[in-house]
Amino acid sequence: MSTGEPASEGGSPVVARDVRRTYYMGESVDALDGVSLSLPAGSYTAVMGPSGSGKSTLMNLLGCLDTPDEGTVEIGGRSVGDLSGGERARLRGTEIGFVFQTFNLMPRLTAAENVTLPLVFHDGVEAGRHERAETLLSRVGLGDRLDHAPNELSGGQRQRVAIARALANEPTLLLADEPTGNLDTETGNEILAVFDELQAAGRTILMVTHERRVAERADRIVHLIDGELAEIEQLEGKR
Amino acid sequence: MKLRESVRIGWRAITGHKLRSTLTTVGVIIGIASVIVFMVLGGAFTENVVGDLDDESEPVMQVVTQTEPETGTGIMFVEAPIYTESDVEAIEGMDGVDYVAPSGSLPAVQLSHGEESQTGTVGVEATIPERFGNESMYPLEDGETFSPSADDEAVVSGQVARLFEDNVSVGDELSITFEDGETETVTAVGIANTTVGGQPSQPTVYLPVDSHYELTIETPDGETERAYPSLEVRAESMDDVDPTKEAITEYFETDADARELKDDEHTIAVQTVDDAVDQVAGIVDQLTVFIGGIAAISLVVGSIGIANIMIVSVTERTREIGVMKAVGARKRDIVQLFLLESVILGAIGAVVGVAAGIGLGYLAVSMLGWPMVYPLQWIAIAAAVGVGVGVLSGLYPAWRAASVDPIEALRRE
Repeated sequence: MSTGEPASEGGSPVVARDVRRTYYMGESVDALDGVSLSLPAGSYTAVMGPSGSGKSTLMNLLGCLDTPDEGTVEIGGRSVGDLSGGERARLRGTEIGFVFQTFNLMPRLTAAENVTLPLVFHDGVEAGRHERAETLLSRVGLGDRLDHAPNELSGGQRQRVAIARALANEPTLLLADEPTGNLDTETGNEILAVFDELQAAGRTILMVTHERRVAERADRIVHLIDGELAEIEQLEGKR
Repeated sequence: MKLRESVRIGWRAITGHKLRSTLTTVGVIIGIASVIVFMVLGGAFTENVVGDLDDESEPVMQVVTQTEPETGTGIMFVEAPIYTESDVEAIEGMDGVDYVAPSGSLPAVQLSHGEESQTGTVGVEATIPERFGNESMYPLEDGETFSPSADDEAVVSGQVARLFEDNVSVGDELSITFEDGETETVTAVGIANTTVGGQPSQPTVYLPVDSHYELTIETPDGETERAYPSLEVRAESMDDVDPTKEAITEYFETDADARELKDDEHTIAVQTVDDAVDQVAGIVDQLTVFIGGIAAISLVVGSIGIANIMIVSVTERTREIGVMKAVGARKRDIVQLFLLESVILGAIGAVVGVAAGIGLGYLAVSMLGWPMVYPLQWIAIAAAVGVGVGVLSGLYPAWRAASVDPIEALRRE
């Protein structure tokens, strides 16, 4: 597979400008209150913050699952707020790769079918699909588990399948939400090593976590508190 | 999203719950199978009656008196002696008419052959000799027809001949006891095959009308003539049937004694074999559609079953839907996926239902000895309905699935 530059050189492929997202639950709550953040190509960013600080909301916005009430989110130069539901779905399928805490594999599809699921939803990529699943699964060390169902795999293996799936469309941005949260420390470290490799290969990664140890694998840590960006902590130790 | 992909994923979901999917389709299968079974039975019955009538088509028509019953709908036959000798002669004089056979039943109560007697089951009818013969309505199995005025000769139907343990054969003597206590002894000179359309008719002894029929009536001209409750007219050929029917109909509308003698609310009808066929076929068709309609109700139940199971399925798979949306599925992809799933269920129901319906119908029809009929247009309708049921019952669940908010769905544990 190609691991080259996933998006535009120089500028940041993912930019959030002054983003506000308000929920109405009896009273209005600003889940995000004017947050600006840009993710340069090839950067590895961790997002930390107590629960309710807006981590998930930020991730949903950057992942095109949600649109901001104010401000803009741009991915690959396109403003997400201007897009229709179908166009956002297309953008998710081509520009974003999701990795979830609970893996979220399709229980009735094999590992290989799970990996190629994003390709199913946009036509065109059909030839060599199985080979692609094989390449991706081999990269995460599961080259021999192609036809296994998710319930035949361990937690760590499932998360590897999920990472392979997130990479299926060569996404601009890899979004990981507590990817080690359901794994023991050792398996979690193996998964984090996979992310290290992905960054080394030029991927842009945003990872939400509440563990300092996990966040320190990134280039920088974004601290959110009460929906506001409290601090961007550069981790000098890395590179 | 390609259709093939939806089929693959949908099929995986269906086979993932084998028992549930099977039970769901059974609802549709029962609905479609019962509709098909009734259509097969109706078609076979019509084919059985009508087909045989058509095969043995004779240039014969019946002149009968009809009335509408006081309650309900339909047509009732009236047995009133209004067709006079003059009417018979007038029709006999028309072009294309081979013979006119007046027929009237005689009030017999018992028939004896040697030591054996039959009571009540046998009819005795006065008629003319021309009805029996190789070129006639009733071919003779054996013997010959009676002479027109013989008072001791009879033709018996095959049913009568076989009614007695000691079968009646040509030359045997039969005693007929009438309601008034009088007994007559006649010789069976012929045995006729009187089955019509493969249906055995009532066992009947036929006697010459001239020597046995005595019912008379005063005609509008003031004369006393014999009168009959119905006439059978035979045209010279099939081509003569329609013009003859027209001429006879016109005669009964203008000159006939019967027109004056009949009750006002009665009508005189001239029925050809084709008319009779149409009538039977029409009634059977109506009945078939009616019963088929009742059977179709179970289809509605079946489709509710699909809708129900699809809604359950959508609820169960909310999280999967969220994942699919996160990895790029559009609303229409999700709609397609779930709609296809319910269409597959409906289509399987249709295919298996049609097969089961034809199978059961075939079984029933062969047990009844009727010809098998494949109700092609109903098979097509059933197949379309099965798929339609799948679409209809899948629409709402699919819309619900497409409306799943991925953020909510993914947050669910």
